[in-house]
Amino acid sequence: MTTLPGPDPDLLAGTAAGARRSRRHRLGRRLVGRGRGNGATAGQNVGGWLFVSPALGILMVFLVVPICLAIYVSFTDWSGVTSPFASTVHGVGFSNYASLLTQPGLSQQLFGTSLRDNLYYVLFVVPLQTALALWLAVVVNNRFLRGRGLFRLAFYFPSVTSSVAITTVFIFLFQGSGAVNKVLRVFGITGPNWLYDSRGIFSVALNNLGVHNPPAWSGHLFLGISLWQWLAGPSFGMCVLIILATWTTSGTFMLLFLAALQGVSPEVEEASEIDGASSWQRFRHVTLPMLRPALVLVLTLGFIGTWQVFDQVTLVGPYNQTTYTPAYLSYYVSFQDNQFGQGAAIAFLLFALIVIVTLIQRRLVKEDLTQ
Amino acid sequence: MKRATKVLASLTLAGAMTAGLSTGALASTRVPTAAKITLTGKATGVKLSLMFGSSGPAETAAVKAAAAAWSKATHNQVNVIPASNFTQQLDEAFAGGTPPDVFYLGSQQVETFAKQGELLPYASLVAPPKAFYPALVKAYTVNHTWYCVPKDFSNLALEINTTMWKAAGLGAYPTTWSQLAADAKALTKNGVAGLDVGNTLDRLGAFFAENGGSYMNAQRTKFTFNSPQNVQALDFVQSLAKQGILQFPPQQSAGWAGEAFGLGKAAMATEGNWIIGAMKSSYPSIKWVAVPMPAGPSGKRGTLTFTNCWGIPSASKNSRAAVSFVKYLSSYQQQLRFANAFGVLPSRIAAATAYAKQNPSVAAFVAGTPYAMAPVPTVGFSTVQSQFDTQVVNLATGGANPRTMLDQLQTNAEALLRP
Repeated sequence: MTTLPGPDPDLLAGTAAGARRSRRHRLGRRLVGRGRGNGATAGQNVGGWLFVSPALGILMVFLVVPICLAIYVSFTDWSGVTSPFASTVHGVGFSNYASLLTQPGLSQQLFGTSLRDNLYYVLFVVPLQTALALWLAVVVNNRFLRGRGLFRLAFYFPSVTSSVAITTVFIFLFQGSGAVNKVLRVFGITGPNWLYDSRGIFSVALNNLGVHNPPAWSGHLFLGISLWQWLAGPSFGMCVLIILATWTTSGTFMLLFLAALQGVSPEVEEASEIDGASSWQRFRHVTLPMLRPALVLVLTLGFIGTWQVFDQVTLVGPYNQTTYTPAYLSYYVSFQDNQFGQGAAIAFLLFALIVIVTLIQRRLVKEDLTQ
Repeated sequence: MKRATKVLASLTLAGAMTAGLSTGALASTRVPTAAKITLTGKATGVKLSLMFGSSGPAETAAVKAAAAAWSKATHNQVNVIPASNFTQQLDEAFAGGTPPDVFYLGSQQVETFAKQGELLPYASLVAPPKAFYPALVKAYTVNHTWYCVPKDFSNLALEINTTMWKAAGLGAYPTTWSQLAADAKALTKNGVAGLDVGNTLDRLGAFFAENGGSYMNAQRTKFTFNSPQNVQALDFVQSLAKQGILQFPPQQSAGWAGEAFGLGKAAMATEGNWIIGAMKSSYPSIKWVAVPMPAGPSGKRGTLTFTNCWGIPSASKNSRAAVSFVKYLSSYQQQLRFANAFGVLPSRIAAATAYAKQNPSVAAFVAGTPYAMAPVPTVGFSTVQSQFDTQVVNLATGGANPRTMLDQLQTNAEALLRP
């Protein structure tokens, strides 16, 4: 036990000075590391490059070159059936981007819809999966829990099962007269036709409360769809995917939290217990702060992953448009409509969005750390 | 269920990429000019590749057998590639500069491929256009050039469960909308819907055609989605849907109308001749009959047709052998073999007539050919259509309005024609 790296005592105390100090420590260590590399002989440098060259080569061929090609394609009208450099391919400037962002029309409307659907997916999945994963990790980390191994395996299982298989099962469960609706009927509830119901759950709730006519201000259009539609909430189909994603990914993140929890020394927890902390206080003020790095990692991975959701949508998507996401839309307009330029433009807008969201999140986390 | 989903998948695939034919009346077809082309490569000792999207094991086996027979007779080799994701794999092969020598191609894509100069206009070397149904030739004609030989086609018809029909004490099969509505109403009971119609333009369009409506004008220069005839047709569909006597597959937890029909959840369905194979293999106990689609108030008959052609890329180094292969594949005898193997209708008029004579069950499907309407060929229409299809299921609850849906469809489609 004593060989485990103990938590930074200052950070544990939660003082701003401590946090700053510990950051400086880490920075210092990194600088020292870099310095050592610079001092190495030229031969070692060559050897180093030689060792990383296969990985670099793979990155170039499968990432850098395709990305550059995609940037080029997003400014053309390439149809995908010739070489992208053929004479029949014309440069179209920013028109692929303009038809998504500024020109009213179906492209903009679909892009807006996909952004809205995905936004609600992110807003629901990220907090839900993080909370569930953390809770599961705490539960299976309990030393007094019997059959811990079994529970860990059971909770992790959905993560290692093929997402295609799970989605197919969900499609069956959530059919109009599927198992879920049959169970709901036992309780006297008539379930919706989940995957085909394009109404947002917030607007359905408002309808049930007697609000039928959207207020005038909500008719304003943003990215081709009205504010009322932006506020409509996830569709019933999207709710199915939210449940599915929360269930499948929480296992993976549970593992990350579990690893972090194992790093928490029991002595610290015992000490807080002796100091008279309740179990909630112990979790909130002792355990949780020590899980911060894991929490940041899980949130970052969660934000990036949820903005790229594709496979589940592909399986559900062809039936209807109740679960559109930019990643799926990009694929659809490229391969079904042979408008690869437009598809590439969607991909880059999605990329920009993910970068911005991640930067904002990092900024927030940083501020939180220094306070 | 699994099988039906598969059939559906292949249908959607076929529908999506075939999306063939012209729209509007099929009779008037200008004879296309014969293109001057030079064939390349030798006639024998050549290795060809054939890529296709298969509807199932029966089709794959039939295509493989045909390829083997031709290779043996002409001392060539054919590498048969059944694609799992056909459109995507075909695009990849073309973009990579290694297109297959022969491939399936729907006319929605013919425009894309032809305009990029990727397609060899070999068709007139194989047979004169008059050997095929005019509508099919027109479907593969871009800018007056007939590009490829139509492979086969499928039409929609009305399928009726005869056991339920007799139990309801009904007489003659419906030939008009009012009869259809009355019969469907009589058949709707005990959780069975009178009629199940796929929730897509590729099925509902048949009602447009029956009412004298269309997708586009005859010259294919303008869309006509929000015509009064189409609005009236969709209003008719909605009136049946609201009463629950017409239901869409998702309302019945079915992947497609054929599944609802096969499981006995619907007494009637409007599907194409592909349903024959599905009924035979998945629901053999159901007794049913197919009749031509009923006529609308105008007394006009109407149906939809879906088709594929044999494409040869202009970049093929062995186009001489490829043309000879397609000649074999689209011969009278071979078309009959394909038809018997997986239930498609031969594109040669003579072969289709003979096939219908041998198989009375397909007569109702063939009957629609003279007036059948084909899907919109315009590049980019797939997204526009899917926006329409999404709303179809809401017709039943009144959540969607036919007029608004068709106006939207018209606006979105018009945007495609703008340069």
